[in-house]
Amino acid sequence: MVSFILRRILVSILILIAASFLMYVMVGYSAQPLQDLEGSNSPNKQQLIDARVALLDLDVPPPLRWVLWLGGVAKCAIPFANACDLGSTISNAQVIDILPNALAATVQLVTFALVLAILLGVTIGIITALRQYSGLDNTVTFVSFFLYSLPVFLVAVLLKEFIAIGFNDFLRDPVIGTGALVVIGLVVGAIWQSLLGGDRRRRLVVFLVSGLATSGVLLLMSATGWFMNPGLGPIPVILLVAAIALGAATLLAGLRNRRALITAGINAAAAIAAYFVLQPLFDVSSAGTLFILALATIAVGLISGFLAGGYDRGQNMRVGLVTALFSGAVVLVDRFMQSWGALLTATNGRPIATVGSKTPGLSGDVWLAGLDTFVHLTLPIIALLLISFAGYTRYSRAGMLEVLSLDYIRTARAKGLPERTVVVRHAFRNMLIPLTTLVAFDVGALLGGAIITERIFAIPGMGSLFNAGLSRGDLNPVMGYFLIVAAMAITFNFLADMAYAGLDPRVRIR
Amino acid sequence: MSIRGKLFRKSLSGVAVLGVAALALTACTTSGSTDTNTDAAASGGTVTVAVVNDFTSFNGQTPQSNLDTNGQVGYLMGNYASAFSYIDNEFNIVREEKFGTFEKTSDDPQTVTYTLNPENKWSDGEPVTADDMVLAWAIGAGYYNDSTVDESTGEVATGTTYFEIAASTAGLDTTAFPEVSEDNLSMTLVYDTPYVDWELVNPIAQPAHIVAKKAGLGSATELTALLKGLPKGDPAAPAEPDATLKAAADFVNTGYDVTAFPTDPDLLVSSGPMVPTGWTPGQSFTMERNKFYVGGMLPKIDKLILRVIPDANAQVTALQNGEVDIINPQASADTLTALENTGADVLAGDQVSYDHLDLRFDQPVFADLSVRQAFLKTVPRQQILDSIVTPVNPDAKILDSQIWVPANAPYDDSAANNGSSDYAEVDIEGAKTLLAGATPSVRILYNTNNPNRVDEFQAIQESAAKAGITVVDAGSPDWSSLLEGGDYDASIFGWISPGVGSTGIAQIFSTDGGGNYNQYEGTNDDAILTQTTLDPDELIAIEKRMDKQMFTDAYGLPLFQLPGVFGVSKRVSGVEYMGNQTGPFWNFWDWSVTK
Amino acid sequence: MSTPIGSGSTPSPTEIPADELAAASSVPESQGRLIWRRFIGNKVAVASIVVLLVIILFSFSAIGIGPIPGWWKFGFKELNPQVNGGDPTLSLVPQFLGGDGMSMGEHPFGQDRIGKDYFAMTMRGIQNSALVMVVLGLIATVVGVVVGAVAGYYRGMVDAVLMRITDVFIVIPALVIGSVVGQWFGSLGAPVLAIMLGFFSWMGIARLVRGEFLSLREREFVEAARVAGASDARIIFKHILPNAMGVVIVSATLIMASAILLETALSFLGYGIRSPDVSLGLLISSNQSAFQTRPWLFWWPGAFIVSLALLVNFVGDGLRDAFDPRHRRFKLSKMRETRPEPELDSQP
Repeated sequence: MVSFILRRILVSILILIAASFLMYVMVGYSAQPLQDLEGSNSPNKQQLIDARVALLDLDVPPPLRWVLWLGGVAKCAIPFANACDLGSTISNAQVIDILPNALAATVQLVTFALVLAILLGVTIGIITALRQYSGLDNTVTFVSFFLYSLPVFLVAVLLKEFIAIGFNDFLRDPVIGTGALVVIGLVVGAIWQSLLGGDRRRRLVVFLVSGLATSGVLLLMSATGWFMNPGLGPIPVILLVAAIALGAATLLAGLRNRRALITAGINAAAAIAAYFVLQPLFDVSSAGTLFILALATIAVGLISGFLAGGYDRGQNMRVGLVTALFSGAVVLVDRFMQSWGALLTATNGRPIATVGSKTPGLSGDVWLAGLDTFVHLTLPIIALLLISFAGYTRYSRAGMLEVLSLDYIRTARAKGLPERTVVVRHAFRNMLIPLTTLVAFDVGALLGGAIITERIFAIPGMGSLFNAGLSRGDLNPVMGYFLIVAAMAITFNFLADMAYAGLDPRVRIR
Repeated sequence: MSIRGKLFRKSLSGVAVLGVAALALTACTTSGSTDTNTDAAASGGTVTVAVVNDFTSFNGQTPQSNLDTNGQVGYLMGNYASAFSYIDNEFNIVREEKFGTFEKTSDDPQTVTYTLNPENKWSDGEPVTADDMVLAWAIGAGYYNDSTVDESTGEVATGTTYFEIAASTAGLDTTAFPEVSEDNLSMTLVYDTPYVDWELVNPIAQPAHIVAKKAGLGSATELTALLKGLPKGDPAAPAEPDATLKAAADFVNTGYDVTAFPTDPDLLVSSGPMVPTGWTPGQSFTMERNKFYVGGMLPKIDKLILRVIPDANAQVTALQNGEVDIINPQASADTLTALENTGADVLAGDQVSYDHLDLRFDQPVFADLSVRQAFLKTVPRQQILDSIVTPVNPDAKILDSQIWVPANAPYDDSAANNGSSDYAEVDIEGAKTLLAGATPSVRILYNTNNPNRVDEFQAIQESAAKAGITVVDAGSPDWSSLLEGGDYDASIFGWISPGVGSTGIAQIFSTDGGGNYNQYEGTNDDAILTQTTLDPDELIAIEKRMDKQMFTDAYGLPLFQLPGVFGVSKRVSGVEYMGNQTGPFWNFWDWSVTK
Repeated sequence: MSTPIGSGSTPSPTEIPADELAAASSVPESQGRLIWRRFIGNKVAVASIVVLLVIILFSFSAIGIGPIPGWWKFGFKELNPQVNGGDPTLSLVPQFLGGDGMSMGEHPFGQDRIGKDYFAMTMRGIQNSALVMVVLGLIATVVGVVVGAVAGYYRGMVDAVLMRITDVFIVIPALVIGSVVGQWFGSLGAPVLAIMLGFFSWMGIARLVRGEFLSLREREFVEAARVAGASDARIIFKHILPNAMGVVIVSATLIMASAILLETALSFLGYGIRSPDVSLGLLISSNQSAFQTRPWLFWWPGAFIVSLALLVNFVGDGLRDAFDPRHRRFKLSKMRETRPEPELDSQP
């Protein structure tokens, strides 16, 4: 195992060095870092050119310059020496100094997009696999192909135009028209009925109930000015938490499992109690508080599951954990919503942002800051995740179908296991195995997509660093970008292999 | 018993864990202050302006930091193109006499005296004195440099370059060490040879007391004493570098380059109306009013935020969404209409940069005047203007002068008399007559990555073909390095007209000028003469003569000024169009926020 | 499927694209027929390939190719006087419905700012996108197949070296290496750009083909060929490759679909095909600001990009279904979508 990892790391470093040479030489020969000066009519043009040539060693041909650059990079390997030298930009900023900021912005974006894409994609993929050839399945298939074929920047432009500006305009007079209510109700009803399935009568009932309920709630929200002053309030929180507890227990253990129900109940009760008791603490919370609370939530979920006992403690702990996390999230969301008013004031009533990752000059508590980040990053994340979302839907649907057709599933069904158990406990895990490889590939695609997304949403991440550097012929930031991205790609590939081995007992790491 | 003991221990450790958690929780809370808007009390309001590039340096005058955003911040901080005077949107030099005055006291030798308002203070409370002006002079004049540069590597071969600046030292380099008055508030410069652009000299740069401190000196006075004691540098006989001056210069050259908001308050010291108060790299740069500023550029607003948005379309959406108040995007007709639809105020005008077609006089095909004239007669300037500029700026006209832009006063008169009317319209027949049956072939160099130039090239190619001139595409993305010595007959590219001042004229139109890529010699004497002519009327007369000469010689044709657009949110008033690099910031003191 | 055949008979000579013909011709008859039948049975895929070909033929016939003129009156570089203020003259509402009748008009898609006909430009964009798609796809496939086949067949040192080289290329995200290549070669025209991009897109196929070869080379028919004295090249290309054709064709299609989007993204960033040549991506990105004001400048090329990519994806999906010969092994790239699963649908 250790020797495997060491070997992998060594090979990865060699690959990184070779790829960096390829990249350096290609960018080096295509770059024209002197263009702006050569075309200028400044009297001391030659002097300026000389200064830039001296700053960036432009008189050295790219392959040799790469050696110089690699020498600087190699210094990063010296521990604690802080001697990293990734060169400087045309404007004399050290690349090593500007990388961390850019990296943070991109990692934030890409991580959220990746996690959401996997969660949504896999969920929808499984649902469509279970409802194969239904209207929902066909629609999702078409939509995912459509998303697959959509240029990222097209999506981004549309999102800005319709979601950001459209929603902000809506907030000026937040009343949903009757026509819109009807349409939303119809669409939601149609989605629910195809999700739940069943015979015609059941579908009709589901359609009517869900459609009417949605329209009704929206009407209520619009009548009470909810959009200007949102919040869940005690009763919806209790209802939501109860629904989460019930759902988690049903999905993971089945309603007949009393111990699981008890676990879910304990966690739901704890969440509701927390909702009422912790509000004063929330008011003085910092990010650290929230982190500790999150840890506490996880602990409560796991411990309650363990204590509830029964023949399958692992299952109970999972139920506990899922209930605790989701209920906790509901409580948090409620608290975040309470800061909406402050955000509206700070942004002149137009909260959804189209540029940047935070409102300049906004200072507030963790809730306001969190909400501010949310309204800035939602659209870029959506634009980014749509690319990979389609892939996950397709692959998890196909994977689920493949797995469900295997003999062992047939056996499981034959011995009378309920469908829930078959899907959740037998099929799900095996379906995940090939997806790990996809994740590794997808990280590369997301990092590439971030170049475009960051440009459109003016987020100063790695992508903008790369793009600005490449178009200006500024080699060092491009190489800084490359180093990080390549290292990330290699790391994720490695992690994927480890995950593969972890999930698939047939694979052994030597 | 043992079971009970185990249980006891377990519950005890449980309690301990809970206790630690509670402790950690309390440690991680905030004071609970819920104030969200810090500037609620201020009345002037905040204006947010979109900029294309991020900020990189508090000294925007070094070669590596000479970028628009740095220059704009410098303008607001008083260390770049503001202080004693500024340039208005009609390219007049406007004196800012509350800060200080300057006057030319003698023409021979040219002598200029600068006098500061004694009330002036830096934003750390220190007074602004002649020491600061002497430092600015030392930086701008390159007085102490004795270096020679190795052309092949760009490295200094011998001697020392102290202060590195993006601007040319021309002009100030002929001054002797300035004379400082008794009260330490005025400085007198004596030029060895007359300097035409003396009014553009703005001797306030970095605070001398800070530079002195960073160089290990006790005060600004000591720095001045040091400067006074050192001889003028001579590249022919380089001296040992002076360690203290080198330290001061190194600080000025690179000490202001930053990648995060500095923790050292010394870097933020400003003599201008605004001081920097925050920077989120890549996103926004915040400036607030300098409470020590007593000059005349006193802003009405409290806070100015520069928001970095590189993409032009993203700027428009951001304005539409109320995230920024002023944008200055790369303009297209659609941008303009989109802005108008959003309900923002749209200010359109000309930029100082203009595209032009130059013919190379050293190429055989253009050796003959009639061929040059014939080719120029086929250039569809109106059509190019109509397709590229008019949709953005409906008032735009063809540029008819090689020297001035319409915002300059002498333009109208010169354009009417310089012979540009010969090329006002496409004259295919006239071209054919001039060619007398010849079918020359012209290779045009242009930037293939610039859609405007590509469109210009296509229009010229198509029109020239009608007169029997074959235009060959010699465009390249690498055009700039081909300008000098490339294989082409004519070129389309852009100059940035400074709007004011005459230094650029010698650069482009004298025989040895670095910008004279087309080897034109017809205006050499006049171009050199402009550099030392101090009488404005005489200067204009010379420049008119040059303008006319160039059209007579069929030098080439100016095509158009790039159109520029400002989008201004309805909540901000007082913004006016400006075509140079200062952009919308030029009259920031007039801005006010209406609710 | 374990019987290799040098030259199988072509299933049916109707509208099959060239690469598919090549594939079908080197696959045993029964297998080929089976695949063909499966593909033909997939209505979406067949319809997609027909529409795709129609769009491409339409674009080539409209403005011609190279010196050969097409039926449309304007070229994509020609400057024309502005008609109708540059607005589109296309009219699709028939007269009896109160419209202006079905007519193309002078400039059906409008004109750009210097009067170039936008219809001709869009057609040129389709041509270039199709060109990039095919050229990039072919080069990536050929290089990938050769590298993968050699690595998988010879194993050992050769495999190790080739796969490390593949790793070197695969470390850089496609859009990143694409931008660099585009920055360098974009101004040399669409064919050069497509070729260069192709040389940086073969890694996925190489890996897949290698995997196929690793398992196929152990099979009896390879052993038989080897005993019969066939050369390595013959074994690789005549015996093993035909059996790996399914993987190759399916991934080639997917690469082609992503090639369109890659070119579009590059054009958006300014590293793609440069003016005065035209690509759909260039059109849409240079008219981004027209989104609210002259939407047709944005939507025509946009619609064609999405259609082309969508159609190619559908074709690829159909091919994947048709080629999927194995059930026993789970493999993402060979996922089967159309197998009926009656027992599933009846489950609650």
